[in-house]
Amino acid sequence: MIGFRYSAQRPPDPRRINDAVVQRFDHVYEVDPALMRDHVRQHDFPAWDTRRIVDSRWEHLAWMHDHWADSVISGEELMEDEPTGE
Amino acid sequence: MTSILVTDPVIDELVAICGPDNVFADKSSRVNRARVPAPFPVHRWAEHVPDVVVLPTSAEQVSEVVKLANRHRIPVVPRAGGTGLTDGAVPLRHGIVVDVKLMNKILEVDLDDRTVTVQPGINMLKLNEELRQYGVIYPDDPASYPCSLVGGRIGTSGWSLIGGRYGHTRDLVISFQIVLPTGELIWVGDGGGRKVRKSSTGYQLKQLFMGHQGTLGIVTEAVLELVPRPEAEFAAFFSYPDYETAWRSTGALAKSGLATLAGVVLFDEWKLDYLRRDDEAYIPQPDDVRCVVATAMYGTTDEVRPGAKRLLRIGKETGGAYLGDEISQGDWASRHDRYATPLHGRLRDGQVVPMSWHCEDASINWSKLPQVRREWHDIVARLGDRFRIFDDWGMFAYTNGAFKPWGDYLTEIDVGIWEQELDDAAWDAWVTAKRDIAAVAIAYGGSISACHGACREGEVDLVPEELGGAGTS
Repeated sequence: MIGFRYSAQRPPDPRRINDAVVQRFDHVYEVDPALMRDHVRQHDFPAWDTRRIVDSRWEHLAWMHDHWADSVISGEELMEDEPTGE
Repeated sequence: MTSILVTDPVIDELVAICGPDNVFADKSSRVNRARVPAPFPVHRWAEHVPDVVVLPTSAEQVSEVVKLANRHRIPVVPRAGGTGLTDGAVPLRHGIVVDVKLMNKILEVDLDDRTVTVQPGINMLKLNEELRQYGVIYPDDPASYPCSLVGGRIGTSGWSLIGGRYGHTRDLVISFQIVLPTGELIWVGDGGGRKVRKSSTGYQLKQLFMGHQGTLGIVTEAVLELVPRPEAEFAAFFSYPDYETAWRSTGALAKSGLATLAGVVLFDEWKLDYLRRDDEAYIPQPDDVRCVVATAMYGTTDEVRPGAKRLLRIGKETGGAYLGDEISQGDWASRHDRYATPLHGRLRDGQVVPMSWHCEDASINWSKLPQVRREWHDIVARLGDRFRIFDDWGMFAYTNGAFKPWGDYLTEIDVGIWEQELDDAAWDAWVTAKRDIAAVAIAYGGSISACHGACREGEVDLVPEELGGAGTS
């Protein structure tokens, strides 16, 4: 069993993406905390909890695909099979 | 505030009908059944709280509750999932809410004649989980798919995301039993047979009751269509540098004639600006992605694969750039479950505030989409100039025809509303804006609602105008 790890708690420092968005983890975007000052306060999230929510979201989307059909056809693979002129 | 009609003896009678465990007069049970996700005057919440809530378990119990209400002249409001975007499940004069959530049984699966018979409180997702073992599916797919119920879908005459392929609720519900306001039970369908899809005998009463919004009765049982579970799904999202190109491409894709095409969705520039604030799929998109068109196909693999190739070709030939598998597949999967999206909006200074999502919808022909889009955004902009609590979240146009996705579109403008800040002045301005939005739809030859129903405050005033004066007397 792995016990408490500081790195699992503390998110990395944010990197600015644009005027309204920052990023701490790959593919995970956050509202710029400066925009969550007057009416809604940003929560402090441990790093592990952000990863858990992101993983759950991907699981949910995979579940939804499987719920609706046996397979999902890839547009990228179709375009490789039969170039559309690009 | 409650009415004086629901006295203790009335509650005793309700308990005798539904049982002591299925009658609720406590505050939380009643307050939580006062509203739906449609914009709600939260500052006047008490005006809409029912006096008592009952959860019957059979059609006979529903019938007895309605007869009791008639005897005592008490208003009755049926409620299913409570996910509607109009006010069919909102009590206007307190009274009894008949919540059908306990009527959630599958009564029969008929694989020979391809039907499933259910009670109205069942949810489509749960139903389809049960149906999977038989290789069939009930393809009614609203944005509230995981939480709305069959009874509400009938009450609203709902629209389905994949209706271009499989039809909408009115096409997928073959027949149903309904308790009339007198308490009598009748079956309505297409002809007399409960599992008959097409009849020329007499009037088509099913369509009269479809979309009843609680005004004509309470649905207690329904026979639904079954279709083969799709072998394959394909979703393709295309980007465009401007609305004109995206709109023309939408028309071309929808008119492709591909039988497996389930839907085409056009996102306008305002929608893209909104998504770029918070949506991980759109934040990293380059600046020249100004509009997006989403498409989806379902069917056998042998049908979908060649159809998908042609769809990709049409998208490219009409100015679209394929956005890739991750956004196409991920965003499409999320479309089945839009009610799970946490919501916040922005003030004009950019500060985040809690906002509820609301969308005004209409049926608009493809040729009129650009004009309607401009006028609707102008209406919401004027609203936002007066009250900071409204935020324009952009527009969608979804293919709206059943089985043939062209012609007219479920057209929506999404508006964020900071409900906690509502007061009478802001609410009145909102209702006026809704009426103006509906008036634009009618002026361009459309219909006030494709999906939600037209009984919301404001737009309901224009229903007689849309229907050519019918009912005005």
